Amino acid sequence: MPYRNGQPPIPTALETILRSSRISRRDLLFRLLPGGLFTFLSLPLLQACTRAESPAEAFIAKVPRYGADIRSAILSGFRELGVTPGELKGKTILLKPNLVETRADAPHINTHPSVIRAAAEAFRSLGASNVLLAEGSGHCRDTLRLLEETGMADVLVEDRIPFVDLNYDDVYTVPNAGGHSRLKTLTLPLTLRKVDWVVSMAKLKTHHWAGVTLSMKNLFGLMPGSFYGWPKNILHHAGIENCILDINATVRPHFAIVDGIVGMEGDGPIMGAPKAAGVIVMGRNFPAVDATCSRVMGIDPGRVDYIADSSGRLGTIREENIRQRGETIRSVHSDFDLLQKIPAHRGLRLHR
Amino acid sequence: MADSKTDRILDEIWKRRLPEGGFASRPGGEYRPDATAWAILALRVGGIDSQRLLAEMRRLGGSQLKDGRIALSPEHPEVYWPTPLAIFAWHRTPEFSRGASRAVSFLLKTSGSHFKRDPNSPGGHDTSLRGWGWTEDTHSWIEPTALSILALRSAGHNDHERVSEGARLLLDRQLSRGGWNYGNTTVFGTELASMPESTGLALSALSGLTAGQAVSGSIAKIKESVRSLKTPLSLGWAILGLSAWGERPSDTHDLIDRCFRRQDRYGAYDTSLVGLLAVARKAEEGLIYALS
Repeated sequence: MPYRNGQPPIPTALETILRSSRISRRDLLFRLLPGGLFTFLSLPLLQACTRAESPAEAFIAKVPRYGADIRSAILSGFRELGVTPGELKGKTILLKPNLVETRADAPHINTHPSVIRAAAEAFRSLGASNVLLAEGSGHCRDTLRLLEETGMADVLVEDRIPFVDLNYDDVYTVPNAGGHSRLKTLTLPLTLRKVDWVVSMAKLKTHHWAGVTLSMKNLFGLMPGSFYGWPKNILHHAGIENCILDINATVRPHFAIVDGIVGMEGDGPIMGAPKAAGVIVMGRNFPAVDATCSRVMGIDPGRVDYIADSSGRLGTIREENIRQRGETIRSVHSDFDLLQKIPAHRGLRLHR
Repeated sequence: MADSKTDRILDEIWKRRLPEGGFASRPGGEYRPDATAWAILALRVGGIDSQRLLAEMRRLGGSQLKDGRIALSPEHPEVYWPTPLAIFAWHRTPEFSRGASRAVSFLLKTSGSHFKRDPNSPGGHDTSLRGWGWTEDTHSWIEPTALSILALRSAGHNDHERVSEGARLLLDRQLSRGGWNYGNTTVFGTELASMPESTGLALSALSGLTAGQAVSGSIAKIKESVRSLKTPLSLGWAILGLSAWGERPSDTHDLIDRCFRRQDRYGAYDTSLVGLLAVARKAEEGLIYALS
């Protein structure tokens, strides 16, 4: 039985079958239903599986280490992806890192401060008037300690980047635009209404409940812990994957920059091992970015349930639909360890 | 009598009072019951007479629902974690004894979701034990469980079955290498890291309920790290946890003053954090003794 951060799971029967066998929804229909009946009953689902998807772009940069020129890599990505000074001039940009927990000598858990610094510089150089960092850490209650021990506090002070702890922000409540979970509304931090762009600055990591955590999963950290608990217990109870889709559908974030210079493999998102992948992945279309990241990690995005479900709803994940800018996936691909003991990892490996 | 540095911290809290009573998390922010409860607690522990805080206590009372819980906001009754904080704030104040009593009743009849332990579960803790969650219908976690135990004990329920079971839950979730994470011990066979704030909270709650031997590894762990802690949540609870076990650092005031000054670096702390620092500075034998 799947088990999530100490929470009793509430999977549907279908989810349970899919999880335990790691077969796709489409495969399941073919297996369960005879010909005519299949056509009659499965058409709406099949249509959902093959929804028309607009093409998208994702950019990959090789960045071998945190001391490298990350700012130039990000600016190259902006150019390749058509991010122009015209659309950033005078804008307020919210950078949402992935800050989870700190351990000595574990830079692979959190978005690295050097990447935040580089992104802030890149956005400012294109005319953004304000860049702020905002996080509602899902796990660690002491956000200031996270900032201090990751080295992020030094960057914030030196570069005069304001920080907002979203866990304690004032809030507003809106209808859940995704409708995937049972949650009718989502309570969001007021800071979201004060910014023009929300940029998910995720980390390239495996995840022991969700399979992988990338730009879409990172937005869990927008949700105020004061209201959702630590580690966002209400969202866990409502289903991690459905809530990822709901948050992304409701917030409609603008841009993703994924720190894969040193990512995490194995028992992510905290206890896994460092994986030096040497990449930054960027894009406007979050499913396309996460699909590209997955392929870089040797993971089939179509087998990560929430990424598969995002396709056609929030963007596209089909490889032939994603115009790859910068480096090719093949040139940077490196299999991230998946653990057989973790149900969410089973069957994810990409077979080329 | 408070010393001048304690006075300065209390002054900062006092200045944050909202015109209509109560406190916000941040200057200029909206009223919050958690910030209000921490501010009242800090001011009272610092020696301010409860009669001077009646407007603040009344505002807190406005957050109490019919069943006794204190909700974070009226739109979110499911978010009940400020309830134990309100019990601290109203402690031994005749005007609010009924409210406190209703809050206690709510805690006694409320628990985090619990269920039979699954031997195949990837988690290492006993899921059948009842504690308290952050929000309704979610699992029990260290911080809300520890705060609820402290609140019930402060209200005279030291020997209640729920306090004993909550203590068993905390002991069950103690890490083998000492300390506490936020709720789990191991996941998929890997032990999680201890966190100073969780460790300080659990030690505060367990003081007087269990023998020192049962938590000696955790006391040693937090003693090792307390002087390296720079931030208010971790430092405040680490000091309160050690104080509760007679292990208060000799340089506690210096550590807290240094932390307080770090607002120059981080910006103004949340009212709850300022309140926690003030309580930790004053409560030489831990929170439960400060209340008694």
